[in-house]
Amino acid sequence: MKISNISKVRLSVLAIIIMAVFAGFLVYPAPFNKSVDWLNSKLGITLPHYWNIPFGLGLDLQGGAQLVYQADVSQVPAGSEADAVAGARDVIERRVNAFGVAEPVVQISGSGKDYRIVVELAGVKDVNQAIKMIGETPLLEFKEEDSSQPLQTDQAQEIAKYNEEAKKTAESILNEVLNSSISKFADIAKEKSEDTGSATQGGDLGWAKRGTYVTEFDTAVFDTLKKGEISRQLVQTVFGYHIVYKEDERGQGEDLEVKASHILIKTKSSADVSTSSQNWKYTGLTGKQLKKAAVEFDPNTGSPTVALEFNDEGKTLFADITRRNIDKTVGIFLDGEAISLPRVSEEIPSGKAVITGNFSLVEAKTLVQRLNAGALPVPVTLLSQQTIGASLGQDSVQKSLFAGLVGLLAVALFMIIFYRLPGLLSVVALLIYGVLVLSIFKMFGITLTLSGIAGFILSLGIAVDANVLIFERMKEEFRAGRPLNSAIDEGFKRAWSSIRDGNISTLITCAVLFWFTTSLVRGFALTLAIGILVSLVTAVVVTRGFLKSIAVGRVENWHFLFNRKKNSESEKQ
Amino acid sequence: MYKIISKRKFYYAFSLALVIASVVFLSMWGLKSGIDFTGGSLMQVSFQNTSRPSVEDISSVLKELDYMADTTVQPVGDNEFIFRFKDVTEEQHQEILNKLKNKYVVTDATTVDSAKDSQPKIEVVTESNKEIGNVNIEAVPVGVSDQASLQEEKFESVGPTIGQELKTKSFYAIILVIIAIIAYIAWSFRKVGRPVQSWKYGITAVIALVHDVTITCGVFALLGHFYGVEVNTPFIAAVLTVLGYSVNDTIVVFDRIRENLHRYQGDFEETVNISVNQTAVRSINTSMTVMFTLLAIFFFGGASIKFFALALIFGVFFGTYSSIFVASSLLVTWQNLIKKFSK
Repeated sequence: MKISNISKVRLSVLAIIIMAVFAGFLVYPAPFNKSVDWLNSKLGITLPHYWNIPFGLGLDLQGGAQLVYQADVSQVPAGSEADAVAGARDVIERRVNAFGVAEPVVQISGSGKDYRIVVELAGVKDVNQAIKMIGETPLLEFKEEDSSQPLQTDQAQEIAKYNEEAKKTAESILNEVLNSSISKFADIAKEKSEDTGSATQGGDLGWAKRGTYVTEFDTAVFDTLKKGEISRQLVQTVFGYHIVYKEDERGQGEDLEVKASHILIKTKSSADVSTSSQNWKYTGLTGKQLKKAAVEFDPNTGSPTVALEFNDEGKTLFADITRRNIDKTVGIFLDGEAISLPRVSEEIPSGKAVITGNFSLVEAKTLVQRLNAGALPVPVTLLSQQTIGASLGQDSVQKSLFAGLVGLLAVALFMIIFYRLPGLLSVVALLIYGVLVLSIFKMFGITLTLSGIAGFILSLGIAVDANVLIFERMKEEFRAGRPLNSAIDEGFKRAWSSIRDGNISTLITCAVLFWFTTSLVRGFALTLAIGILVSLVTAVVVTRGFLKSIAVGRVENWHFLFNRKKNSESEKQ
Repeated sequence: MYKIISKRKFYYAFSLALVIASVVFLSMWGLKSGIDFTGGSLMQVSFQNTSRPSVEDISSVLKELDYMADTTVQPVGDNEFIFRFKDVTEEQHQEILNKLKNKYVVTDATTVDSAKDSQPKIEVVTESNKEIGNVNIEAVPVGVSDQASLQEEKFESVGPTIGQELKTKSFYAIILVIIAIIAYIAWSFRKVGRPVQSWKYGITAVIALVHDVTITCGVFALLGHFYGVEVNTPFIAAVLTVLGYSVNDTIVVFDRIRENLHRYQGDFEETVNISVNQTAVRSINTSMTVMFTLLAIFFFGGASIKFFALALIFGVFFGTYSSIFVASSLLVTWQNLIKKFSK
């Protein structure tokens, strides 16, 4: 079967129209969906609705905030800055997600030593709260003692003085205990013990097997003291001075258990004083490697603790740290403050740790929430912010829509008045162009900003440029005496090199704009570039198809339609 | 046919005058940099259901905060203000907002008083029929929509480092675009060896482009000086677009020259003049369509892209002018000079 040329053209025009209708419903699905609803109710069938993809509106159009943070990597050892910043980005993203903002954007920008995190929160109502939430820095770090930084003498003196006081206090309490009946022990413990976990239980530590407590305490309860006896002397451990009461014991050999109570008067070690970061070394283990945190209760004391579980990377790091620091202190720092200074007794390969600060239940819960929201691996500071109120954005959308319509109308009028029928066809092509571009915006989820819309409106003007070039050429061909059909062909052919070269130069500009500037201008570059690419297709293929399929038969002689002089004349001198 | 090329001296004089004036404005006043480039804060607030205070009044309130000492206050529309001041922290930002709200909304005398009057006094009377006292119900305006409020429409705060960075980046972007365009034109016209080499088309197009951008910047130096119009990131986008557009327009003319050089073997100047005449209508018509859309953005689009559109309007206008009257003329002048000196 042979298809004539004109049929081919008409087929392609039909294809274009079908495509345009599809794209049109994508841009504005309401009429389609209403018709479907009507049909469904009439015929009792269930036809599906058209895809309803919303336009992605930028911050300036729906209101929202753009926040630029500087990540401070000065405390992070060379080489791992990028990782740390990426960790911070992830954490901020989690926090932002918790805030319930639709499609937040959290990106790292900048290079070299300057790490920035750009947060875009479209449609956020309370920016202040968002800023607080993002900026809230539970900077969780595990640090090891830095022996290269010896204690300053005044710090050492301070410790000695404090511990002496503690000993005096402990001795006076011991006297009090020994001078009163055993039944008073619990009351005194409640009142005086500094081990907050057990103090409320009257100092009761519950049943425990050998090995549960630190060596000195173990020796006291298992070896020195008899059942029902209170230690006559203070038992000194790393925690401080204990007055120990062995209440009961049960079992034999391996299963031997004791029930003990104690009163603790705390002492300080070098670790307590040197909580400033200078005496602590970066270990690489931060909130970044935290998998989850949970409130747990100490089975012995019943006091709330915070259990941490690390991810695989954190597991390895934590095992290394604990292996390196057996019998040393590892500091757990939150926002630069030591929240817990546990002594490592053995390597912990499981990646699980427990923070046993003296938390109240509420404190423990808050800490867990903050840790789960994510502890930042590096501190961040807000460098710049842009906030647009929703009403201003709404106003901008309406204004730019109106501007777009006015622009479109003006271009359409101009083209029709100046170029008649080809002009009208180019306006149809322009409408198809508009619909195609808008549906591309929807399909690829391109975020529309105010400048992006400006780019699109501008591209409406540029889009007819190719047609202007072609129609001017056609006029010349008419003047040279060519018949309509070959004038169309020739016009398109000759205009092509200009169209191509001209648009490539604009595309180059768009590319530079896109790579070199900030997000708001990028929107402009992107929409302009898409506009130019689509306009190449619509202006050349669509307009040509329409012209060719109309320019048959007697149309040839309707000179008015083409703004064409009746007799071909040579160029005006 | 219009004798465009032969009258080139007039156009050169016109262009030169504008360029010189622009350079003078630029060196005298420079462009007024917006906070995008200098760093600083911009805050736009609107007053709802209450009259807007006077500029003097509100600026004296703001200046009570020491970091707001250099604030400029600009009224916008019927009920809005724009404040410009140095970059502040988020805490300071909230402090400013609270200060304004305390001053103009919560303790706003007119609102509270009128609300008070509308509230009945409640007399509390004991059983012994002795009046204890009047209880004033605190004035709480009913219905949120009627409530006088101060709304923050927009807030931007840019640190000085970011501004500086943006400046440098924009500068590189412009240089990069110019280089890329020369390279592209040189490549695209590579087959046109005679009588003018292809790279000369590139250089000429860039001279026209510098002309367009200089005049556009000159206009903004003028606007900045007399009307306080600021130059910010969208302006850079506009300048870059003018670069692209100006070249686009020039290329169309050059393309016609390229084509006509094959057709007519006559004088170069004549060929150029024919080409310019053949493309002039197209250049003007295209500019018209672009102008329509730009004017639509300028008059009906949002306030923040008004001056972006204005920059493009000037850029496109002079881009069209230069592509018709300057760029092609320069090709001819260049060619004549070479002829003259090689003799």
